[in-house]
Amino acid sequence: MTRGLLTRMPGVAIALVLLIAVFSLANPNFATLSNLQNILIQSTILLLLALPMTLIIMTEGLDLSMGAVLTLASIALAITAIATGSIALAVAAALAVGLGFGLLNGVLVAALDIPPFIATLGTLGIAQGLSLVATDGQSVVGIPRGLQQVYGGAFAGVPIPIIIGVLAFAAFFVLLYRTRFGSYIFALGGNREALKLAGVPDRTVLIATYAVGGAMAGFAALLMTARMNSAHPTAGIGLEFDAIAAVAVGGTSFERGNGWLTGTLLGVLVVGVLRNGLNLMAVPSSAQVAGIGALVIAALLIDGLRSRP
Amino acid sequence: MDRLASMRHNGWNARRCEKPMTVAPESAAQRDAAAPLFELRGISKQFPGVQALDDVSFEIARGEVHMLLGENGAGKSTLMKVLCGAYRADAGELFHNGERAEIATPADARRFGIAVIFQEFTLVPYLDIAQNIFLGREPRSRLPGFVDRKRLYADARRMLAMIGFDIDPRTPVHELGVAQQQLVEIAKALSQDARILVMDEPTAALSDRETERLFAIIAQLKQSGVAIVYISHRLAEVFALGDRITVLRDGRKIASVRPAETSPDDLVRLMVGRAVDRTYAREYTEPGEVLLEVENLASDNGIADIGLTVRAGEIVGLCGLVGSGRTEVARAIFGADRVTAGEIRLMGESIAGSPEDSARRGMALIPENRKQQGLALGRSVGDNIVLASLHRMFPSGIFVPARAGRAAQAGIDQLRIATPSPHRPVSVLSGGNQQKVVVAKWLNAAARVFIFDEPTRGIDVGAKAEMFRLIDQLVQKGAGVLMISSEQTEIVHVCDRAYVMRAGRIVGALARDELTEANIVRLGMHQ
Amino acid sequence: MSTVAQTSPARRGLSRETVQFAWRVAAALAVCVALSLLSDAFLTTNNLLNVLRQTSLLFLMASGLTLVILTAGLDLSVGANIGLSACLAALVIKSSGSPWLGVATGVGCGAMIGLANGFLVTALRVPAFIATYGMMWLILGATYFYMGGETVHGFPPSFRQFGSGYFLGIPIPIYMMLLFLLLGTLFAQRTVWGQQIYAIGANPVAARLSGIPVERRLVLVYVVSGAMAGLASLILLARVNSAEADIGEHFTLPAIAAVVIGGTSLFGGSGTIIGTLIGALILTLVVNGMNLLQINASWQPLVTGVIILFAVWFDIRARKSGN
Repeated sequence: MTRGLLTRMPGVAIALVLLIAVFSLANPNFATLSNLQNILIQSTILLLLALPMTLIIMTEGLDLSMGAVLTLASIALAITAIATGSIALAVAAALAVGLGFGLLNGVLVAALDIPPFIATLGTLGIAQGLSLVATDGQSVVGIPRGLQQVYGGAFAGVPIPIIIGVLAFAAFFVLLYRTRFGSYIFALGGNREALKLAGVPDRTVLIATYAVGGAMAGFAALLMTARMNSAHPTAGIGLEFDAIAAVAVGGTSFERGNGWLTGTLLGVLVVGVLRNGLNLMAVPSSAQVAGIGALVIAALLIDGLRSRP
Repeated sequence: MDRLASMRHNGWNARRCEKPMTVAPESAAQRDAAAPLFELRGISKQFPGVQALDDVSFEIARGEVHMLLGENGAGKSTLMKVLCGAYRADAGELFHNGERAEIATPADARRFGIAVIFQEFTLVPYLDIAQNIFLGREPRSRLPGFVDRKRLYADARRMLAMIGFDIDPRTPVHELGVAQQQLVEIAKALSQDARILVMDEPTAALSDRETERLFAIIAQLKQSGVAIVYISHRLAEVFALGDRITVLRDGRKIASVRPAETSPDDLVRLMVGRAVDRTYAREYTEPGEVLLEVENLASDNGIADIGLTVRAGEIVGLCGLVGSGRTEVARAIFGADRVTAGEIRLMGESIAGSPEDSARRGMALIPENRKQQGLALGRSVGDNIVLASLHRMFPSGIFVPARAGRAAQAGIDQLRIATPSPHRPVSVLSGGNQQKVVVAKWLNAAARVFIFDEPTRGIDVGAKAEMFRLIDQLVQKGAGVLMISSEQTEIVHVCDRAYVMRAGRIVGALARDELTEANIVRLGMHQ
Repeated sequence: MSTVAQTSPARRGLSRETVQFAWRVAAALAVCVALSLLSDAFLTTNNLLNVLRQTSLLFLMASGLTLVILTAGLDLSVGANIGLSACLAALVIKSSGSPWLGVATGVGCGAMIGLANGFLVTALRVPAFIATYGMMWLILGATYFYMGGETVHGFPPSFRQFGSGYFLGIPIPIYMMLLFLLLGTLFAQRTVWGQQIYAIGANPVAARLSGIPVERRLVLVYVVSGAMAGLASLILLARVNSAEADIGEHFTLPAIAAVVIGGTSLFGGSGTIIGTLIGALILTLVVNGMNLLQINASWQPLVTGVIILFAVWFDIRARKSGN
């Protein structure tokens, strides 16, 4: 399982160390404890998306709708919170939206055989459309106070987002490496025939994979909304790209059915460090995106060169 | 008590229903007296245009290694597919321990303890050995959905120990070599309580040492009463391992004998002796200038030291067993695979080694898999016929449909392709006519050297003769043909001479007077 | 589809492609009829010209993309391409005062992006959707960065003619649409390259084994797709008379939708340029209808998404039953 992938460790870990070194030299504010903690906190949302994205990419699929679904879920959360005053109901609403879109993606890909990038491109449009319609392009504000604690609060001195991140990583680690479902995900990408021959309902497993992705987008919406204390129809746009970048940089390739969660974690940190460092250098968000785009292409290049001698 | 039975006795059971089975050990006398473990009686199976199996009966006894021999297309794999539930027979019956049995699906076959080791392994590369062995049947822990890893690895170690495979079950499968992956497949089959193991050319990719190890495992399995159906071309193995030998030919069972009752020559004779098709006779002509010369050719697909020539007016055969590298030679010569050594000279000129270059210079490749590699199925007959000659016909770059249509019609008329118009999608044509379209494509491209890879594969008997006449016409007009075929009769009756390949090398060249089926088979087999 | 001409006179029935084309034209007409019934404002000259003008723009964007999709590829960077090309062209026009230099810049920029995409897909064998997806973000980011959030406006009238000008009472973009419809169709149906592209889409392995230089042709289609996006960005620029970084973002999805609705299969090998035009028309009509009926513009991406999914599903079903 993880043993064979140790050969990949150097790549993304080296990249991470290099980036930290470069930014520490470039800006004295970078290497402070509070800033590093900041990076961890801010990376949590991305981690929540990148973990299920790893699974989806392992099945040779892709989910381009995650950002839009997160946005819609956050809007649903905000609206429900304001309307009912209950945070619990609001969270349920967000999860429901996420899960719903996840299942839709899964059905489109597994049952209707629509190529994943087109299917999720379509649902991206649908989710984005619904976000715009529901909010008329405006932010949703006036969320009950308690929610902010989720992002800004701490438990036993540890910021809550970091706790959530650790728990999420642990949960996915167990899911992928210790459950039957996890083995089936490896099989979906590595040798789907084997799964069918073994009598396992492969389509159901695939649908479940996308459903998990959607649910996690809903869950991440909770953190996002708490962080901004509002919901905006363009808030999550592009997050799926960061997630895909994190997974790609982390070493999970787009074929061959292997996946490395620790690599994804490191990839998330790489993206987080990159964004934070560039922010400190007052590089606008747009250029950061370009940088990440270049990073993805570099990762694909390296992956391509490595596997085709 | 044999190991397998003792494991069951101790309550270990990999099946979903947790009730342990107890199996009393059998004595040798009991074994002989009882009905065969499995029997196929009077099996017939037809596919469009071809009778794959015709009233074949096949018995499998406990603890025996039953060798299944026959040329390509004799019906071996069809018979095994009926056994393992992938196909349903049109006629015939199946018996398990003397009682009638129904096998409609692979799941049914598994219930009878039938397991097949496919040539394409059903392993998931990034899971480890234990996970692969128990895929879909993982031992469950108390927590729902979780795998009881202790039991998983313990059970896996036990299965591996049964076949003497000493390896950490936590090793990811993609780190294993082919031989080791095969052992994992065997362990996987055994973990499903296989009583009949079907192995298709298991030693094809193995070294001598790995083969020895496999034989030791087979001996062990025999001891535990597992029956093995072993498909092989290697006569040495057949005599070393086999308890019984069944020979199939053209879908019929020719003989079922014990090794002691026969000899390698007898077996060869049984495999190849067939009624000669007298409807086609070739007129040999004196060969002209050298069209194709290959020297020391090697490619990254496992062939090396390949040297051959093809002259105008000749049909040169390239024979050998499946997997001997013939297609790889064809591809390397045509430029479809990367050449790592050697030289190819087409009509005197050394060529660069790309399909574009080869096509332009007059070389044609008619691939074995015409649907996937030779034709654009979504396009029309006419589109396909002009596919390789677009630049030649329209050097200015402007495509004139009317001219293309005339060329297409000319091709249709010349080869008598059965289609009302060039407009019809090529996918609706029969196999034989599709093959003709591929040939027409290359005729239209003014090819002079044609490489045919299994030209009559998937074509019914009537059309085969026509295909040979077509090839004959080509060489009568001065072309040179290199023909790959697994049907020795074809080679003998059509070719001027032939090269024989084995394991990626050319092991012999047969001149016309030496060109007999027996010689081909003997050279091609691993002695 | 077959482009080899019929040599025997009799023809039994219409070909599959003709039937499908007829269906699409009928669909477009049906939408027109529906809209004319639902809204008085639909059948006015002004509105119809508007629809055609919008269709022209979308068609230009989608025409090159059609070739890419014919080879079973994809170009998700169309929108980003439009943004960068438009912004670069805008800056060149403003600084040099020459519209033609701007045109050259726009088309050139688009072509270069196409070249990069083609390189990723052929030389590095990156799957097209991933390669163009990565490029999309790279270009978007670079454009945003370069523009710094600013807008460029005020272009010379000679340039603005491209987008807002009329000739003989018909908007110029419509002439461009007809021109490229002709060029595109000629390219696809009447050149060797076009035939090879169809063959590559139908079966890249057989195409290669028939001596077609597959890699070179793939690079070609991506370059053409990029150049057309660059050209379309100029029309857009001329029309809206201003350039900002996200000017093209909203066009990626509709461009792909136009191609797919027009009958070009995502799996390659079948489709036409005129089909894309009809697809662009249908999409534009639907959006126009939504505007006339004063449906919130926010619904548009949703409708586009749903339409794409349906069109793809149809295509997949047709393939399964046809083959």
